[in-house]
Amino acid sequence: MANSASGMAVNDECKLKFLELKTKRNYRFIVFKIDERIQQVTVERFGLPEESYEDFTACLPANECRYAVFDFDFTTDENCQKSKIFFIAWAPDTSRVRSKMLYASSKDRFKRELDGIQVELQATDPSEMSLDIVKGRAI
Amino acid sequence: MPFSLPWNKGKEREGEKRRRGKKKRAKWKRRTKIAPRAFIYPVVMYGGDEVSAIVLDLGSHTCKAGYAGEDAPKAVFPSVVGSIDQTGITDDVKSERDMESVSDSKNGVRSFDSDKTKAKCKLYVGSQALGYRRDHMEVLSPIKDGVIVDWDIVDSIWDHAFRDRLLIDPTEHPMLLAEPSFNSPQQRERTAELMFEKYKVPALFLAKNAVLTSFASGRATSLVVDSGGGSTTVAPVHDGYVLQKAVLTSPIGGEFLTECMMKSLESKGITIKPRYAFKRKEIRPGEFQTVDLDFPNTTESYRLYSQRVIASDIKESVCRAPDTAFDESGYANIPMTPYELPDGQIIEIGADRFKTPDILFNPSLALRIPGMESFADSAPSVRGLPQMVIESINKCDVDIRRELFSSILLAGGTASMQQLKERLEKDLIEESPQAARVKVLASGNATERRFSVWIGGSILASLGSFQQMWFSKAEFEEHGTSYIQRKCP
Repeated sequence: MANSASGMAVNDECKLKFLELKTKRNYRFIVFKIDERIQQVTVERFGLPEESYEDFTACLPANECRYAVFDFDFTTDENCQKSKIFFIAWAPDTSRVRSKMLYASSKDRFKRELDGIQVELQATDPSEMSLDIVKGRAI
Repeated sequence: MPFSLPWNKGKEREGEKRRRGKKKRAKWKRRTKIAPRAFIYPVVMYGGDEVSAIVLDLGSHTCKAGYAGEDAPKAVFPSVVGSIDQTGITDDVKSERDMESVSDSKNGVRSFDSDKTKAKCKLYVGSQALGYRRDHMEVLSPIKDGVIVDWDIVDSIWDHAFRDRLLIDPTEHPMLLAEPSFNSPQQRERTAELMFEKYKVPALFLAKNAVLTSFASGRATSLVVDSGGGSTTVAPVHDGYVLQKAVLTSPIGGEFLTECMMKSLESKGITIKPRYAFKRKEIRPGEFQTVDLDFPNTTESYRLYSQRVIASDIKESVCRAPDTAFDESGYANIPMTPYELPDGQIIEIGADRFKTPDILFNPSLALRIPGMESFADSAPSVRGLPQMVIESINKCDVDIRRELFSSILLAGGTASMQQLKERLEKDLIEESPQAARVKVLASGNATERRFSVWIGGSILASLGSFQQMWFSKAEFEEHGTSYIQRKCP
């Protein structure tokens, strides 16, 4: 256990939806948010397989923190079709300190619940999770 | 009280203050009551929204204390205390002390002669108590190189924070303490023991400075550069863990820079007169007369303390990190900045404005200041800020180096120095590997930069879900002190 973890629980739906994304590839992405009322990480929204990376980034609020997973399809230099699952911790600079603290201190535990994440990104502004960076990390 | 005695007046006033404090907190409680929390987790809840937790960050220079959930600490006071040796002092001093006791209860003075046998010292804690000059009063610090060495002083500081500044009963509030990233297990156990056994706190948590800073900026992985009063620490944090092997510290912090500033001014013939050493009055409107006072029994450490208070204000008001490495010739003709000392003397500060902050980047610069010769022994082992950052990152796993380079967090009191962030970023871009994308982040808000550790602790302790994470008194009684290593890893 990491030092100073918040102790936030994870809603079962998060794990189920993630499993569907991973095995059945039913979704392109899932956005999670922390519901402080029930003290759980919950699923906020998800995107269907035909949606693009732009559709995904549009789902992240400009001044609130979120977690997200994205199933990224790409072609390697050897012309080989591949996909990788990205975990993104979105904590924009303009969000409130409380929200940043809440999401950062709950991340470790949440990530452990999602088994099968291949790449992890933390982003504080859109440039840190641009498509180029995502591609760079995937290959 | 059967009848009101004149020397009880102070106590009455204090009681009033305490009641007012309670009322304020009650209001806060109501505000934060968002939803019933106790029913979600079947675990025993401590604090929660019944009583607010207390967050305490004892740094080498200042102690920050306040209620969890607030956005800045309520009490900020020096981490040094004044101490007067009481051994061998005869009865007439004792009676004098009795007379003083009324005012002392307000000023945060703790008499330690009843419970300590080793040395009968009377300790004066808090800026007010320290601001008053006393004969033979030495100024002592409980912290050396970031580690607590004198627990009696720490005890007196905690006591002052709880009883004189926050006006709370420590037995009622969970305590979240911030600790240095390199704190040893023995130190942590000692802390837990003191908190549970002496203060009888209901629950305790020890959070690491670097982790709190990192989380408060929304990052679970980052390189925290914490430049405080007594030292500068560079600590990589990965997924909320401090990578202990890569933590680097250097003794160059705000106090060292203040010292350099002072010595540099002295070499130019400017002596800073401590505030107690003169009286200044207005003889005619707009015209002042300064009369020097002489107190032969003032200790050297108190004189230095008082001078440093002024020197650090000079530093904070005029200093600015130079855009490129400092060189004597390039800054020889820069315009002077005036500064008015408390005694009315106006001094002009030129190159020192830039030279002093540059010591952070190039410590050997300090050797060129007359009077800093004592630094020569340790100078070769002390590196500049950019070198420390690169060395620390190179000690980490290759896989996370890229991420660390792109999230370097600047925090601590000295981080508020103007242009420091820009200069560090520039130096790092020059010295880091080509592929690395260097990004230095610092909160735009000066309060957030200075108190980032405290703010992080304040939010954490106020989270509803955190209430199950506390190391409770019951657990302490059942498992003993060493359990702190498991509860607060």
